[in-house]
Amino acid sequence: MHDVKRRYVIPGDKIVEGNFRPLMNVIKAGNSIIATRIGIAETGRDGVKVIPLSGVYIPRVNDLVIGKVVDHSSLSWEVDINSCFSAHLPAQDVFGRDFSPARDDMGRHFAIGDMITARIMAFDRTRDPMLTVQDRDLGKIPRGEALKISATRVPRLIGKRGSMIQMIEQATQTRVLIGQNGVVVVTGRTPEGIKLAVRAIRMVEEEAHTANLTQRIKVLLGIPDTPPQQQEAPRDAVSGASKPEESTIDEVEEELEVEEEK
Amino acid sequence: MTQTRNLIDENGKRTDGRTIDELREVKITVGTVKNADGSAFIEFGKNKILAAVYGPREVHPKHMALPDRCVLRCRYHMSPFSTDTRKNPAPSRREVEISKVMREALEPALMLEDYPRAAIDVYVEVLQSDGGSRCAGITAASVALADAGINMRDLVAACAAGKVDEKIVLDINDTEDKEGGADMPIAYLPRLDQVTLLQLDGRLSPEQFNECIDKAIAGCKMVYEVQKQALMHKYFGNETEMKEEAQ
Repeated sequence: MHDVKRRYVIPGDKIVEGNFRPLMNVIKAGNSIIATRIGIAETGRDGVKVIPLSGVYIPRVNDLVIGKVVDHSSLSWEVDINSCFSAHLPAQDVFGRDFSPARDDMGRHFAIGDMITARIMAFDRTRDPMLTVQDRDLGKIPRGEALKISATRVPRLIGKRGSMIQMIEQATQTRVLIGQNGVVVVTGRTPEGIKLAVRAIRMVEEEAHTANLTQRIKVLLGIPDTPPQQQEAPRDAVSGASKPEESTIDEVEEELEVEEEK
Repeated sequence: MTQTRNLIDENGKRTDGRTIDELREVKITVGTVKNADGSAFIEFGKNKILAAVYGPREVHPKHMALPDRCVLRCRYHMSPFSTDTRKNPAPSRREVEISKVMREALEPALMLEDYPRAAIDVYVEVLQSDGGSRCAGITAASVALADAGINMRDLVAACAAGKVDEKIVLDINDTEDKEGGADMPIAYLPRLDQVTLLQLDGRLSPEQFNECIDKAIAGCKMVYEVQKQALMHKYFGNETEMKEEAQ
């Protein structure tokens, strides 16, 4: 990503002229590429895209999301994933192929009000998103403090290779689960730690696009200025099992790119 | 439509001291309603209007949802205290009409097909009115939509022109609207060079009509600059060019 040109754009701004491929949040009008969202336009070798700075969460296949079970029918749970579409988790996904509404008690697994981590299995223009919990570390979240941030801030909260969230977790002795839909669950040993982590997350949300954010977060968390153990421990070693939510910003961007190519 | 007094004096100044080509002062603040997904507050002369956008969100009642695109719902409302004498808060015939034309003015700019089965709600609340509130409302709503992160082909800028003392003037105010000869509000997509709203109240000759359109579009372009600056200011502060960060 060395020859990427970046600039600020608002809807209707012409980003470039010429034969470029429109990737994300842009339209091609004649010979020029036009931004359709407020954000940072990136013109690279592979095409032009705009990284949006505002907007609600629109589901994408393979996204890891945190949702709240709001209802269930005899065949599926309805999950609020902080989007304009409510998601469905089919009971067969949890109980297996031989699920029988008469025999199996759905309340055994998820009750209304439970928070779950799930992956979006299927979603398109015609159908509501379908979830799955059949993967490592997916399923019910037993405890924690849930908060919502804008989905456009998620990559910033994670930081480059998880740097931002690692820093917050280490300094506050908490674990932070981040769903790509902008729902964040913080767990920790002390209420003070959780409170501080929540404040830090709120600050990242509000000031996501400003310069020197990492520095200000460090001040808030009371981390000394010198960076002694940078790039020392890989993500997994810090807080036990790896969590799939913590895809790095690069991965997130890759996913976005993959999505666009479809 | 009968004129009772001169609305343009011998120096070519209008009732509020403007020249015939002058816009009232326009000021837009983005992100004023915290709970909305996008919002804007516009001061267009003495007009003070709040626009809030919610969505894309689930459609209720469900049968209103469209399978292939998003439903855009607009509400233009004047607060009871926005006029000289108290206005009944119930939606009047005029408000229902403005809500409709506002929706139709904004729709071409939005990429509604990106959000099938969802709804976008636009609420425009007039807190203080001074003529040309539909134009100011459309201008604010368009900024609020951009703030909400909804895919847009272009912003919508709106401005009126009209006839006062047989002269075509830009941006009609309340007195000129009531006592002047004609009022023509226009909403315009500056990049696409398309008009999405054109209404006319009064009589104009074909020449005057053309002059009026040209003047109003010129006004829309000025309004567009203010919209752009307001959005840029909210998201990027005073920077206009991005500094390359060391990767």
